[in-house]
Amino acid sequence: MHDVHDVEEAERMGRARSRIFFVLAMVFFAGQSMYFTSSPATRDSHARIGAWLILVILILLLLATGGFVFRGRKVRDLLNDETFRLNRLAAQATGFWVTIITALVVYVESIFEPMTFNEAIHIVVTLGVGAALISFAVRERRAHRIG
Amino acid sequence: MNRLREMRDSNGWTQAELAARVGVSRKTINTVENRVFTPSATLAIKLAQALGLSVEQLFWIER
Repeated sequence: MHDVHDVEEAERMGRARSRIFFVLAMVFFAGQSMYFTSSPATRDSHARIGAWLILVILILLLLATGGFVFRGRKVRDLLNDETFRLNRLAAQATGFWVTIITALVVYVESIFEPMTFNEAIHIVVTLGVGAALISFAVRERRAHRIG
Repeated sequence: MNRLREMRDSNGWTQAELAARVGVSRKTINTVENRVFTPSATLAIKLAQALGLSVEQLFWIER
């Protein structure tokens, strides 16, 4: 049996996580829309590509672990319970389908307008990871608002 | 369909108290009560045990 204080702390952390993930998804998409609308000459600097790569890895780690990895085991077990796992599974499925559909669109598009391998990967990964993150954040926010 | 809210209220427990007894978040109890989330068999058994009921008394399928 857990302590009620642990449940209340997990509740606060869960609400904070859904808000943080939602804001992170918005920041990610805003940053990438600026990237894709900038001129190709300035677009592919090492700093911009490095920042994108770090953000993508961070998002994947957050989705894989649920975040708050340094918190106590008891609270994390409550935080990452059955509904969390179900929402994450659904978000991963959304990310998978968006990735596949984007890859197909990019494949067809590249026949008419050639693009580099790096550009294609950037588009596919950005939309796939971003869709999974926003799907998870929306599902968690909805679950917290019910009742 | 379930009688989770009714049975929790009859015990005088809050959602957080039931969540602590079962080992899940308050969000999970809330979504089960509102029939948004269908719990796994394991969670259904834990909920029934915490409330001193059988799973069939707590959950049923509407025909």
